[in-house]
Amino acid sequence: MECDLKIINEETGTSLDDYVACPSCDVIFDISILKDGESARCSRCGHFLSTYRADETSRVIAYSSSALILLVLACSYPFMSFKASGLESLMTLPQTALNLLRDGMPGLAFLVAAFIIFIPALVLVLILVLNVALHNERHYHWLRPVGRLIYTLQNWCMVEVFFIGVLVSLVKVGNMATVVMGLSFWAYAVFSLLFILSLSGLDRAQCWRRIERLQS
Amino acid sequence: MSDISADAPTGLPVDMSSDRAPDTPMTAASQGLASCHICLKLADADHHLCPRCGAALHLRKSNSVERTLALLFTACVLYIPANLLPIMITDQLGQPTPSTIIGGVVLLIDMGSIAIAGIIFFASVMIPSSKLAMMFYLCWSVRNGPPETARQRTVLYRITEFVGKWSMIDVFVVAILVALINLTNLIVIHPGTATVAFAAVVMVSMVAAESFDPRLMWDQRESNDE
Repeated sequence: MECDLKIINEETGTSLDDYVACPSCDVIFDISILKDGESARCSRCGHFLSTYRADETSRVIAYSSSALILLVLACSYPFMSFKASGLESLMTLPQTALNLLRDGMPGLAFLVAAFIIFIPALVLVLILVLNVALHNERHYHWLRPVGRLIYTLQNWCMVEVFFIGVLVSLVKVGNMATVVMGLSFWAYAVFSLLFILSLSGLDRAQCWRRIERLQS
Repeated sequence: MSDISADAPTGLPVDMSSDRAPDTPMTAASQGLASCHICLKLADADHHLCPRCGAALHLRKSNSVERTLALLFTACVLYIPANLLPIMITDQLGQPTPSTIIGGVVLLIDMGSIAIAGIIFFASVMIPSSKLAMMFYLCWSVRNGPPETARQRTVLYRITEFVGKWSMIDVFVVAILVALINLTNLIVIHPGTATVAFAAVVMVSMVAAESFDPRLMWDQRESNDE
């Protein structure tokens, strides 16, 4: 449900903490008037501003903890196997990076591992820890740096891009040999979905308002 | 939303009843407020660090256009080896065949898979090059663009920003094929040097998109209104 935001609330009783400026065009809005389930867009340029959900922290805890479990599964079972002329080669998720290392490309191996496993895993752990603290309304001195790290790293998570890459490779190889999907493939598919849900469920403005409320 | 009462909401450090044009929405910068790029906190622009999250605070991203242009030129230079060098080497029965990005598309057309060739051409040639062209246009438009198109250009910017990491698909496809097709003595795939260049193009252009500040396009419009 979309809520039409007034550009600024004229009534007194709102403070600077209730306002956000649109990141694309800088117009100020009062987001404290959002009710449960409502989201807001900038009325001048259409940029998404915020969604308020009363149960945001519990949702995000559920998504991120299940995503972490699935990532562990995805790393420990065969991802896909390739059969041609009676021979078979098996691929696991860590091998996408390890085989690049074997082929003398340590830099690329590091980037691939970081983008599809390490950064997403770190972001998920941080999101989980932060939201557990917010859910229990406990204040810790590390909430600020954790929040900052989540929002700095989230651009560099390429989980969904990798998954589409898997589908593209299936199409490329599919007609020259038999490719069998393993347990890991399905685990990673669900992991990508849950990962996107946990990132999009964590609303930037609302999450920081919660942190701020705990600080004071 | 034309008139703002003189008794400004508590906490706003500035007088809101300043004389703005009736239908110009109030921007943070016009109130001397900077918006934190990490936590969206509005704070006095005099602060160097965001009082809520501690990130560096700027009214506008510093040297945005210059930085974006420098990164775009870097991406363009890297784009040359990314297309000329082989992206992967197929070693079939001991016979290594290197292939470039374009070569792969041509091969698919020869094999008759026009549709897949089209998709791959679109994703690995059209999108990265048009993304660079768009960013150049946006940088140019900050000073010279028609002010009334600020909204369309903001949408354009958000599309280029969103598309950014999707160009990484090619690099991932190479990584997957290298790991998957690994039958010694029959067929083995090795990554080519272009993969590194291509990954660099994607990452540099992602940073370029991040350092561009779309609010500059609106600032230009507002200064024209006055």
